[in-house]
Amino acid sequence: MRKLFTSLAACVLIILLFTGEAFSQNIVVKGRVTDVANGETLIGVSIKVKGAAQGTSTDANGAFTITVAPNATLVFTYIGFEPAEVPVNNQTTLTVTMKTSASALEEVVVVGYGTQRKSDVTGSVAKIKGADIASQPVLAATQAIQGRVAGVQIISSGDPNALPTVRIRGTGTMKGGANPLYVVDGIITEDIRNINNADIVSMDILKDASATAIYGMRAANGVLLITTKKGKQGKMVISYDAHTGVKEAANLVDMAGPAQYAGYLNEANVYYGSGDELITTDQIANGANTDWYDAILKKGFQQNHNLSLSGGTEDLTYFFSAGYLSDAGIIETNNFNRFTLRSNNEYNATKWLKLSSLISFSRLNNRGVDLGAFNVAYRAAPYIASKVNDLYGNTSLSNNVGNPLLSLEKVDNRTLGNRLQGSFALDVKPVSWLSLRSSFGVDLDFLRSTNYGYQFANVGANSVFLTEGGNQLRDKSDLTVISNNATKWVWDNTATFNKIFDKHSVNVLVGVTSEYYRFNGLEGKRVNVPADRDQWYLGAGSTTGATNNNTGDKWARNSYISRLNYAYDNRYLLTATFRADGTSRFPSSNRWGYFPSVGLGWNIAEEDFMKGQKTLTTFKIRGSWGKVGNDQINTNVYFPIAAINLPYFYDGVEYSGIAFDQLPDRNVKWETTEEYDLGLDYGFINNRLTGEIDYYHKKTTDALIDIRIPAILGDADALYTTNAATFTNRGLEFGIHWTDKINDNWSYNIGGNVSYNKNEITGLNGGQALVEGNIGGNQGNVTRSDNGQPIGSFYIYEATGIFQDAEEIAASAQKDARPGDLRYRDLGGPDGTPDGVINEFDRTYVGSYQPKYTFGINGSLTYKSFDLSINTYGTAGGKIYNGKKASRLDQRDNLEAAVVKNRWTPDRPSGTDPRANLAQLPASTYFLEKGDFFRINNLTLGYAVPKEKLSRFFIDRLRVFVAAQNLATITGYSGFTPEIISGNPLNAGIESNIYPTTRTFTFGVNIGL
Amino acid sequence: MRMQRYSILITAALITLSGCSKDFLDINPQGQLVEEQALIDPNAAEQLVGGVYNTLYFGGFGNTTVGFLFQCLNDIASDDTEKGSSPSDFAAGGEIDNFTVTPNNFILNNIWAGHYTAIARVNRAIDILSQSTFEQSVKNRLLGEVRFLRGLYYFNLVRTFGGVPKLIRVPDPSEGNSDEFQTRATQEEIYQVILEDLQFAADNLPLKGATVVGRATKGAAQSYLAKVYMYRKDWPKVLENTTAVINSGSYDLVQDYAAIFRENPVNNEGGNNNIESIFEVQTGVNLGENAVSELYSNGQGPRSRGGWNDLGFGINTPTADLANAYEPNDERRAASIIFINPTVVPRAGGDPANVGTLLWDGFRIPTQDSVENERYNYKAYHSPLRESPQVSNNKDKKPKNIRLMRYADVLLMYAEAQANLGNGGEAQAKLTMVRNRAGLDAAAGTVDNIWRERRVELAMEQDRFFDLVRQGRAGTVLRSKGKPFVDGKHELFPVPQAQRDLSGGRLTQNPGY
Repeated sequence: MRKLFTSLAACVLIILLFTGEAFSQNIVVKGRVTDVANGETLIGVSIKVKGAAQGTSTDANGAFTITVAPNATLVFTYIGFEPAEVPVNNQTTLTVTMKTSASALEEVVVVGYGTQRKSDVTGSVAKIKGADIASQPVLAATQAIQGRVAGVQIISSGDPNALPTVRIRGTGTMKGGANPLYVVDGIITEDIRNINNADIVSMDILKDASATAIYGMRAANGVLLITTKKGKQGKMVISYDAHTGVKEAANLVDMAGPAQYAGYLNEANVYYGSGDELITTDQIANGANTDWYDAILKKGFQQNHNLSLSGGTEDLTYFFSAGYLSDAGIIETNNFNRFTLRSNNEYNATKWLKLSSLISFSRLNNRGVDLGAFNVAYRAAPYIASKVNDLYGNTSLSNNVGNPLLSLEKVDNRTLGNRLQGSFALDVKPVSWLSLRSSFGVDLDFLRSTNYGYQFANVGANSVFLTEGGNQLRDKSDLTVISNNATKWVWDNTATFNKIFDKHSVNVLVGVTSEYYRFNGLEGKRVNVPADRDQWYLGAGSTTGATNNNTGDKWARNSYISRLNYAYDNRYLLTATFRADGTSRFPSSNRWGYFPSVGLGWNIAEEDFMKGQKTLTTFKIRGSWGKVGNDQINTNVYFPIAAINLPYFYDGVEYSGIAFDQLPDRNVKWETTEEYDLGLDYGFINNRLTGEIDYYHKKTTDALIDIRIPAILGDADALYTTNAATFTNRGLEFGIHWTDKINDNWSYNIGGNVSYNKNEITGLNGGQALVEGNIGGNQGNVTRSDNGQPIGSFYIYEATGIFQDAEEIAASAQKDARPGDLRYRDLGGPDGTPDGVINEFDRTYVGSYQPKYTFGINGSLTYKSFDLSINTYGTAGGKIYNGKKASRLDQRDNLEAAVVKNRWTPDRPSGTDPRANLAQLPASTYFLEKGDFFRINNLTLGYAVPKEKLSRFFIDRLRVFVAAQNLATITGYSGFTPEIISGNPLNAGIESNIYPTTRTFTFGVNIGL
Repeated sequence: MRMQRYSILITAALITLSGCSKDFLDINPQGQLVEEQALIDPNAAEQLVGGVYNTLYFGGFGNTTVGFLFQCLNDIASDDTEKGSSPSDFAAGGEIDNFTVTPNNFILNNIWAGHYTAIARVNRAIDILSQSTFEQSVKNRLLGEVRFLRGLYYFNLVRTFGGVPKLIRVPDPSEGNSDEFQTRATQEEIYQVILEDLQFAADNLPLKGATVVGRATKGAAQSYLAKVYMYRKDWPKVLENTTAVINSGSYDLVQDYAAIFRENPVNNEGGNNNIESIFEVQTGVNLGENAVSELYSNGQGPRSRGGWNDLGFGINTPTADLANAYEPNDERRAASIIFINPTVVPRAGGDPANVGTLLWDGFRIPTQDSVENERYNYKAYHSPLRESPQVSNNKDKKPKNIRLMRYADVLLMYAEAQANLGNGGEAQAKLTMVRNRAGLDAAAGTVDNIWRERRVELAMEQDRFFDLVRQGRAGTVLRSKGKPFVDGKHELFPVPQAQRDLSGGRLTQNPGY
C-alpha cells in the first residue's frame, strides 16, 4: 500500500515535468490599488496575469509594475477583498479599486497542508481572527476563543501557566489524550503555551472528519491550526501593544468564622459524641479569626508588552516580534512570566522559488504553587492564626491539616522552560498549476525545574509555629532538580496541483510526512541542601539519600497524505482525503492505519434558479463522512517490560531482583472515530446575516481503556490497557451572525452560537464499568463510566431530603438514622430490588460534568472612534461534584458558612440540609450541583485617537482601551468555579484542587508607527 | 526551465526518500528492559527469585502479603487488638473489628491481590528456573525457596478465604479467562498445594547456617509444614516436623523476650535474625527506601493528639483484654505492649512534670491527653533514636524486620502435638521452656494451657485469629469478648467483590456474605 502510494506520487510529479510556458511581446503596466471604501492604498495585493504564472504584488504605496501582453487580463486578489479582474487593453497606467468582501464565506481557511476558500469547503470548519485572540489578557490562545465557536467547549483556569482544556464536539476519548491536535504553522504539537497571542493571524478549527481526516491517526479530537503573522510588502510597520492589569479571585466561598465553626462542631458532638465541647470557649476567645482564603490569596499584577516590526520588498518580507507577559497569579508565591521572540521571513528567490523561515523562541519562568494549599485552606480551622510575626499558626494541632500559607511559603518550585519552534520551507512553483513544498519543522523544548523544600521544625527553638507540636514539619531540606529535553522534527513534502478547466476546478494534494520525537529526562533529589538559593544544585546536597533518575521516550511516524478538491461551476463540491499513518507506537501487526474521508457540498445560491432573488446570498448544503484516529497513549504499552531493581536484603546485603508484573496487550492499536456531518451555511441580505447549522454523529470504536483484570493473573496494578470501548457523540450546532452599519458613525455586529452534544457509552468490554474519582474517606469513587451513560458519570446515592422525626426513620431503609440526617433513596439490593438497606447497590447515575449545551454571544459596537466589544460564554446541563465540601477528612475540618447556617436543628427543621455532623457523609446528590453558568468573558471599551490628530506625531494609529476579563458569572453552583480542568475524562468535574477562576481588569494601548 | 525541472526531480526524490527506511518505525522502549532482553541474562532465573523475595515487602495500604494490612486483619479480628487510631480513621479496619466486614472491604482485596501477584512471580520464576542451566542442587535450592514462599502465601489465602483459585503455573494469555483459573479450588486442593510446596522446600533447602541469612531454610519449611499439619490436626506430622527443627540444633530461645523484636542485640542477645528466628522479612536501608514493609511499624506506632511528633498512625492497638491475659510477672506483657502512662506526677518543686511513657530507647511519649490511644504494639516499634533511620522524612518507610516464624512457636506446636498424642510430660517440658523464658513457672502440658500460652507468646504476630478458628472456639471466645461472631460465617472472610465481578461471577462467595 505504502509503496504503491509513494511510487504513484513520484510518477505523477515526473509526468508533470514535461510542460512548458510561452511568452510573447509585452508592455509595462504601472498602477495603484486602493480600497474603494476609503481610498486607502492597499499593500501587498497579489496581482496575477490571468492564465499565466506571472505575477507581482503592490508595494508600500499600493503601487505595482508589471510587464504583460497588451491584451492580458490582470487578476487582483487580497485577503478580505473581492477579487477584481482588469483587462489591460494596451493601457500602461491602471487605477484599481477593490471592495471589501461582503461575505465572510469568501474567507480563506487553513485546512491542513494548504488553504481553501471557505465557500469551497465541504467540512465543518471555523475561523477566529488573531485580533480577537490578542485582545484578551490570557496566556493560551484557546482561552480567548471561549464561546466563539459552536461545538467547541473550552474550560479555562485562573492558573497563569495553564493550558485550557479543549473539547471539540464532546469528549472524544476515555483514556487521556482528549485534547485536540494543535498545528502551529505546520508543526504538530500538544502544547501552545509558547505562542504569543499577538503573533497569531488566525486560528482555524477543524471539526468534522472531512476536514480533519488529513491528520489521520491523531485527529479524532479535532484540529486547531494556528497561523502566525508574516510581513507584507511595503514600508515597515511598527506596532506596540501593551496592557497592564490586576487579577483577583472571581468567586470565593464563604467559610465559617470561629464562632460558627465552634458552635457547629460542639452541636454536632452533642449528637454524635460525648457532648463535650470539641472546640472550647477559651480556644475561640483566645484564638484568631482567620479567613484562610484571605491568607493564601492575593491580588496579582499582570502585564503584557508586544512589539513587532514587519514589512518587506518584492524579494523579502519579514515579521519580527518580541513579547513579554508577566502574571503573578492570585495564590501567594505564584509568579509567572514569559518572554517570546518570533522571526517570520519569506524570501522570494526567483519567481518560482520561495524560501521561508518561521522561527519562534519562548522562555518561561514559573514559580508554581501546590494547589493542595487551596484545598487545605478550606479545611483549616478558623481560630488558628495564619501567620503572626513570622510564626505560623499550627493547624495540624487543630485538625490534622498543614498550615496552607506555610506549605506555600516553605517551598520554592521554579520551572524554567526554553522552547525553540521553527519551520523552514521551500516552495517551488515550476508552472502555474503546480506547487511543490518541502517543509522541515523542529520543536526543541528544554525544561528545568528546581523544587526546593525549606527545612522547618515544629518543636524546639527553631520551631516556626506559634504553638509547638503537630505533624507539619520538614526535618531536612530537600531539593529536586529536573532537566527535560524534548526534540521533535517533522518533515512534510507535498505537491499541489491546481487547475481550472472551464467550469471544473480541480485541486489535488499528495504528500509524504515523517515525524520523530525524542525525550530525555534527568531527575535528581538531594536532602540537606542549604537554604541559600545560590546553592540549589544537586552537588550541594548530602550524598545520603541522594537519588538520580534518567528516563527516555522515542517514537516516530511516517504518513502518506492525499486530498482531492473538485468543484463544478462553484456549485457542486467534492473533497476526498486519504491518509495512511504508520507509527512506532503500536506493534508491527497494527502499525499502519488508513483514514479516508469524503465531503460533498452544494452551493444552492449559485444555481440559476436562485439568481433572480436578493434575499439569499449564500446557501450551501454540506455532507461528509470520514474516519479519524487517536493514538495518544504512552509509547510502547504493548511491550512486556521487566520491573528491575526489586530489592531484597540477604544477610544485610541488597540484591536486585526482577519481575514481570505487567501484562501488556500485544495487539493494542489506535482508537477509530467514524463521523458523519450534515451542515448548512446560509447568508441573507448580501451576507449581512450569516451562519451555519450542523448535525454530527461520531462513533468511536476500539476506544482505549484500562480494564481491570483479575488479580490471579498477577498484574501488579491489575490494569490492562486495551481497545475495549465504544461510545458516541451526537450533536447539533447553530451559529448566527449579524453585521450592520447604521451610518458613518454607528456600526455594530452581533453573533451567537449554541451547540448541543450527547455523549453515550455504547459498548464496554464485558460491561465492566470504569470507576474513578476517589474522594477519599468513606465516599470512595464517585464516577463510573458504563453502558448507556455519558463518560465519567457521577454514580452516587440519591439524597431525597431530611428525616424530620422517628416515624419517618422507622419507615425508611436507614433505621439507625436520627432526625436531621439525610435520607437516601433505597434503589436496589443484591437481587436488584430495594432491600431496606442503603449500601453500594443504591448508587445511581445522576449525570456527568459534560455539558449538554454550550453557547456564546459576542458582539461589538463602534461609534465614531469608540469601540465596545463583549464576549460571553456559558454551558448548561453538566453537573459538578463539590469535592471540597464532600471530603471532610477530619471531624474538626472547617465548613462553609452556608452549611452551618442552613443546618437542620430541632427548632429550625430544614428539608434540604442535614444537621451538624462530625463525620464525612456518604457520596450523594447532596454534594452534586448543576454546573450551568453564563459569563461575561470579556468586555472591552476602546478609543482610537483619530488619524488627523496623530499624523504630526508620526503615529499611524493609537488606541487606548480598558477591558475586564471574566467580569461576571451567573451560576447556581456554590463552589469556587464551575470550570474544572481535568486531564482524565473519566473523573472530570470534581472540584478539589482547582486553581480558582480569576477576574482581571486591564488598561492597555495599541500603537502603530 | 531546466532549474525548475531539476527542482521537481529533487522534490520527487525527497518525497520518495522521506518514505523512509523500513526500520524507521521500529523503536524499542527507552530506558526500560523488555522481557525478551531480560531473559537473555544468564542470571535471569536467580533475579526472578530475588523478585519473589521482594514480595515479602508488599505492604502499606496497598497490595500486601505479610505486611501491615494482613497483620491488621489477623490481629484486629481477634481479641488481641482493636482497630485503634481516631474513631473515624481507617473505617475498613473497624469493619474487621466489629465483624461487619463486607466483600467490598479494601483490605481483603489488597490481601487477595498482593498474594496472587506474589504467587504469579513464583510461578514465573519456577517456569524460568526449570529451563535454566543451573547445577541441579542450586536449581533445587532456588526452586525450594520460591515454593516455600508460595506455600506460605497459599496458607495465608486458604486461612483467610478458604478455597481459592489454584495457580501453580503461568497461564497462557488465552487461558487467563478459563474456568480452571477463574473458579475456586477446594480448601483441600489448596492444602495439597501447600503441603507439596513446603515438603519440596523441606527436602531441598539447606539448614540454617548452610545458606545465606534471610533465605528460606529447611527449618523454616519444616516449621511451616508443622503449622499447616497442626491446622489439619495431623499431630504425628506436626511432631515429626517440629522434632526435626528442634533436633537440628540451629535454634534456641532468646532469654530476653523484649530483645527478640529489636534491630540490634541487647547484651549479645536477640536483634534481627536472632537464634530464635526461623523466618523473618529482611528489611534494609537503601536509597529507594523500597526494601521495607511499608507502614508495618509506622502504621502501628503511637499516635499523637497534638503537641508532639508522633510515632505513627496508632492502628492495631492491643485490647485491655490482651493486657489482662498475661499472668502476674509475665515479662512479655511489658515487652509486647506500650502502655501510655496517664499520670502527671508533681516535680520536687511542686509543679507537675509531664512524665508520660519512657520507651526502651529513651523516647518519651507524653501523657495520655496528648496521645490518641491507651496501648500500642511494642513488637512493631522501630526506634527513631537507636535503630536504623529511614533515608528520607518518610516515617512510613521504617526498616523493621517482621518476625514471621519463631522457635517459641515450634516449641508450642511440638507441645500441642504431644499433648494431643497423650504425652503430657513432653508437652509440659517444652511449654515450660517458653514459660520460663517469660519469667513464669512451669504449667501442666494441657491443650488449654498451650492455647493460652500461644496467645500471650505470639500476641500480635499474625496468629491469634486463625489460631482461634483452628481451635474451633473462635465463636465462643470472641462472643464472650462482645464480638458478634457468627458461627459458620466468620471463620472465613468474604471473597473480594471486585474479584468476583472480574471473574464474571464464577468466583463463589463464602457462606453468609
